[in-house]
Amino acid sequence: MTSIPMALSAQHLSWRVGERAILADVSVELPQGQMLGIIGPNGAGKSTLLRCLYRYLTPSQGDITLFGRAVSDFSARSFAQQVAVVLQDTPHHFDMTTAQLVALGLTPHKGAFSLTSDQDKHEVRRALATVGLTALADQGYEQLSGGEKQRALIARAIVQKPKLLILDEPTNHLDIRYQIQILELLRSLEMTVVISIHDLNLASALCDQLLLLDQGHAVAQGRPNEVLTEQRIAEVFEVCCQVSPHPQHGNPQINYFYGYHNVTQGETP
Amino acid sequence: MMRSPGLSASERLWRGLLLVTGFGVLSLMTPLLAASFGAAHIDFNQVVDVVLATLGGERPSSVTARIVMELRMPRIVLAFIAGFGLAIAGAVLQTVTRNPLADPYLFGISSGASFGAVVVLTLFGGAGALSNALSISWLGSVSLPMGAFIGASLAVLMVLALCGRAMSTQIERMLLSGVAISFMFGALTSLLLYFSGPQAAASVLFWSLGSFAKASWSGLGLPLLVVAGATVIILLFKRQIVAMKAGDETAHTLGIDVQRLRLAMLLLCSLITAVLVANCGGIGFVGLMIPHMVRLLLPGRFALLTTGLVGGLFMIWVDVLARCLLSYQELPIGIITAVIGSVFFLFILGSKRRG
Repeated sequence: MTSIPMALSAQHLSWRVGERAILADVSVELPQGQMLGIIGPNGAGKSTLLRCLYRYLTPSQGDITLFGRAVSDFSARSFAQQVAVVLQDTPHHFDMTTAQLVALGLTPHKGAFSLTSDQDKHEVRRALATVGLTALADQGYEQLSGGEKQRALIARAIVQKPKLLILDEPTNHLDIRYQIQILELLRSLEMTVVISIHDLNLASALCDQLLLLDQGHAVAQGRPNEVLTEQRIAEVFEVCCQVSPHPQHGNPQINYFYGYHNVTQGETP
Repeated sequence: MMRSPGLSASERLWRGLLLVTGFGVLSLMTPLLAASFGAAHIDFNQVVDVVLATLGGERPSSVTARIVMELRMPRIVLAFIAGFGLAIAGAVLQTVTRNPLADPYLFGISSGASFGAVVVLTLFGGAGALSNALSISWLGSVSLPMGAFIGASLAVLMVLALCGRAMSTQIERMLLSGVAISFMFGALTSLLLYFSGPQAAASVLFWSLGSFAKASWSGLGLPLLVVAGATVIILLFKRQIVAMKAGDETAHTLGIDVQRLRLAMLLLCSLITAVLVANCGGIGFVGLMIPHMVRLLLPGRFALLTTGLVGGLFMIWVDVLARCLLSYQELPIGIITAVIGSVFFLFILGSKRRG
């Protein structure tokens, strides 16, 4: 482990509202070039952890370092040159075209008065091509489908040229084809990626590392087959399931059982 | 009016060229044409002669030349500055608060300014009757804009103090405290007017509806300086302002200090508005309407200079209407902009429902 440079390291993170700890003593490390999936039930603290990582929230306790440097040392602009974030907060009445939205990724790299150069335009076009949206560049962003919107936001992040890409539930509200497409697109970028995700099978199939959160605490971190055990899923999510290796990639594949109250673990209904 | 998604590059170039030439011709012709309207009949050719002669270094001497150069031209320039300033202030505020109804007067500026003006009129105007005529005219020309400016600044400072620095609640608090402060100053103004004479009420009403009649070359300095300076600063932050469209949290991840940028822009727009209100009175709807018009023309762009230019040209022509609609007196600017503005919004609502 020591030879691989750590892209991201968070030690003993806590974030409290009054007395209530939304995050309690969470530590996580991620080597460069890997993809970390943050999983856990609703309210486990996934979004809060991400918000601490991209400095929207300042943790009550703990340290976060990015490539060995404390994140609090970065200026707002230099941080944005290192870390791009894909969120679901695009407001209503958003009147930009897809290309204009993608070009927002240039913001941290451009000084005052500097115009958008041919090089910048080329980068925007290349990012659009990477996510397969070239044909929709001049379409209004609001007219895109859910999956296309998500890809446009990822293209914006690509233009930002980050070393670390953070995504908060990018597969929400997408059908399964787009869920797989988005995650495989992220894998193909060969960046260091932190992603919060609800679907455990998807996380298992496409993440290198998983961090399982429950009520603000880190329950487990490691490779999917280390984290996703029947016992843990039963404890954290309060459902019954059977975990078996996936026929294609060998990572855990989870089958859920229904009518939980009547079924004890290990029995089939 | 809606954007057709598949515009080809040549079509867009053609449209851009058309826009630029159109604006060029309009900007050049508007002041000359506008100067040929008014109570005294001076035709377009005479205006051109006078302007060329003055630009050639000649001092205006004839009556015609003096009407054009000393009465109409400063008025046209002031109208342009006011329209430009209000339009960009509206565009910036609508963008950084992501509120399509944001307008330079939303943050209590106009009611603060009215209050300041009423204080000057009732307190100093009343005392002025005791002193000699000279000091009354001095008070009338200097103190009313001064009072309006102080009142407007007071209102803005109170909004800034109330809105706080928490990003998640900032916009809401800004808008709500603006409304509250508007009501508060409105009540104080009514109270003062209730206890003052009808003359004060009439002059406050006339002032608050806006007019460029008092424009002079010497009075243009401050508005020009403030609007030009603010425009340069806004252009410096243009990328950041555009990025605010994507939402506060996303703007934060693009490296923007969201709260500080928003407060700075509010302060800057308030400065523009306060100076303009003090010089020309309250001219509504321009800051609200012009940015929407330009957005319809150029969707998705943050075309600041175009917005300012459209606002300035629009204001010059509104002033021409104000001078010419009635033969025996001038109409207040604010009435005309309000009529045009409300009709414009009804039109937009209608076309949106159909679309």
